[in-house]
Amino acid sequence: MIHFYHVTKKFDRYSTALHDVTFQIEKGEFVFVTGPSGAGKSTLLKLILRQMLPTEGQVIVNGRNLNAMRRGQVPYFRREIGMVFQDFKLIERMTVFENLSFILTVLGVAPKEHKKKAYSALRAVSLHHKMNAYPLQLSGGEQQRVAIARALINDPLVLIADEPTGNLDPDLSNDIVQIFNEANLRGSTILLATHDRELIRSSGRRVLSLLHGRISDEKIAAPEPVAARGGESLFVNWS
Amino acid sequence: MARDFIPGRREPEVPSGAISYFIREALRRLWISKRTSFVAIAMIAMSLLILGAFLLVSDNLERAVERWQGTSRVTIYFSADATPQQIQAVDAWLGAHRDLARRKFVTKEQALVRFRGYFNDLSDVVSQLDENPFPPSFECEVVPQIAQSGALAPQLTQLRTLSGVDEVQFDWEWIARLRRLVNLINIAGFIIGGILAIAAAFTIANVIRLTMMLYREEIEIMRLVGATERIIRGPFIIEGILQGIIGGVVAVLLLFGLFVAARSFIVPARSLLWGFLFAAFLPWTKIAGLVAGGMVAGWFGSWLSVRERP
Repeated sequence: MIHFYHVTKKFDRYSTALHDVTFQIEKGEFVFVTGPSGAGKSTLLKLILRQMLPTEGQVIVNGRNLNAMRRGQVPYFRREIGMVFQDFKLIERMTVFENLSFILTVLGVAPKEHKKKAYSALRAVSLHHKMNAYPLQLSGGEQQRVAIARALINDPLVLIADEPTGNLDPDLSNDIVQIFNEANLRGSTILLATHDRELIRSSGRRVLSLLHGRISDEKIAAPEPVAARGGESLFVNWS
Repeated sequence: MARDFIPGRREPEVPSGAISYFIREALRRLWISKRTSFVAIAMIAMSLLILGAFLLVSDNLERAVERWQGTSRVTIYFSADATPQQIQAVDAWLGAHRDLARRKFVTKEQALVRFRGYFNDLSDVVSQLDENPFPPSFECEVVPQIAQSGALAPQLTQLRTLSGVDEVQFDWEWIARLRRLVNLINIAGFIIGGILAIAAAFTIANVIRLTMMLYREEIEIMRLVGATERIIRGPFIIEGILQGIIGGVVAVLLLFGLFVAARSFIVPARSLLWGFLFAAFLPWTKIAGLVAGGMVAGWFGSWLSVRERP
C-alpha cells in the first residue's frame, strides 16, 4: 500500500530530513513510526500525503507513483487518505458538523446525506452530542476525536496520523489508539507517527524507528504478556 | 469498510453540492469583512455611476436626435423688412419644389409664444423689448431619406438668394453635429467608466487577496483534505462577483435617485435643454448592462487575486 524506495529528502545542502529510506507497508497493516523530534517522521508523512516531493527515490501509495503525479491529481489522491494532525487542523469558525460537512462537500456527497454521515462518524468517536459545538469549545482530546472523525468519514484506504496524542494525557491517548484500531479492523491501513513509547509498548504492532533521517530499527512491539514481565527488551526483532 | 481504490476513477472537480457552498461562504465572507468589501463595492458603484451618467445623457440626446431625424426640417427666416409679396413669392417657390412643399408659416407672434414656452426664464427679457424680435418663417418638413441624400443642397443655395430671405437653417446639419456629440459623450463615458471600472477591479482584487490571506490556514487545511483549487477559489470568485453585482445595483439606484432629483429640481427651472437631457431614464437593457459590467469587474478582480496560489 505504501512503498518508499531509497527516498532522500533534502531541504537544502546542509539539511537532510530523510536519507535513503526504504520500507513497505502492506494493505491493512497498522504501523507505528517512532523516533525523537527531528528524526524525520513528519517529513515522511508529508511525502505520503504528497505535501512535498522526495529529492531522490520513489514514493508509491495505492499503486501510484507520487513523483509522477500531476498537481491536478493530488486533491483526488488525498481524498483516499485520511490525515490526523497533532494540532488537529480543524476550521475554528466552523462547527463540528460543518467541519465534517465540508469534507463531504469536497467529496461530492449530496447535502441531504451530510447530517447522517457526520452523525455516524462522530458517534464512532463518541462525540455525536457535540455536533453544533465549535472546536474551541472542546477539550484537546475532543478536538482530536473530531479530527479523527473527519479523517475517517470517507472510510479512507490509508489513515495517517502525525503525533495524534502529542497534546493528550495517557488515558485519552489510549482511547485515540483504540479508535485507530477499530478503523484498522474495518480495513484501513494505518500509519501512526509518535514519539510516545508508552503508546507503542504492548501494541503488538510493527514499529519503524527513525533516527537522523534514517530507519534505525524495524521491529514488532512486544505484546502485553512479554512487556508485562519487565526487564526485557521492549521490542522484538522483525524481519 | 475502507473504500477500494478504483483505478481511473475521476471525481468531479466541483461537486454538485459545491455551488450552494460557494454562495453561502461568499455571503458569509462578505459579511465578515464588510468594511473592506464596502470599499470595493463603493469603487465599483462610483465607476458605474459615472459611466451610467454618461449613458443617461447620451441616451436622451440620442432619443432627441432620433425624434428630430424623423421630422427633418428646413426653416426659412425672413428679414425684418420683408414684404408680404416677398413672403408670397417664397411660398410659391416652395410649392413648386416637391421636397420642400410640406410647409408651415410661423408668424412673428407665434414665434414669440413658442420662445416663451421653451425658455420660460427668459420671457421677461423679451417683454422688456420695444418690439417683437422674432422674424416670420416657413418651416418645411423634409423626408429623412432626402435630408440624408444631399439632394437639397442646391435648392437651399437657391432659396438663400430669394429676396426677403434672411437665413435658411437646415436641421440636418445641426443633428449631424449633435450625433457627433452623442458619440463623443459615449466614447468619453466608456473611457472614463472603463478606467474607473478597471481601478475598481484592482480594488476588488486587493480586497479578495486580503481575505485570502486571512483564510490562509483554512485554505491549507482544505488542500490537505483533498479540495481542488476550484473548490477553494470558488467562494472568492463568487465573493468578487457579488461585490460587483451589489456595486452595479447601488450605481443604478444612485443614478435613478439623481435622475429623479434632476427632473424635480433642475428641469422645470432650466426648461428645454435640461428637459431633453432628463427626458427618460435608461432602458432595461442598459440597466442590465451596468449591473453586468459590475459583475464582470468583480469577476475580473477576484480572478486576478485567486490566480496567485496563497
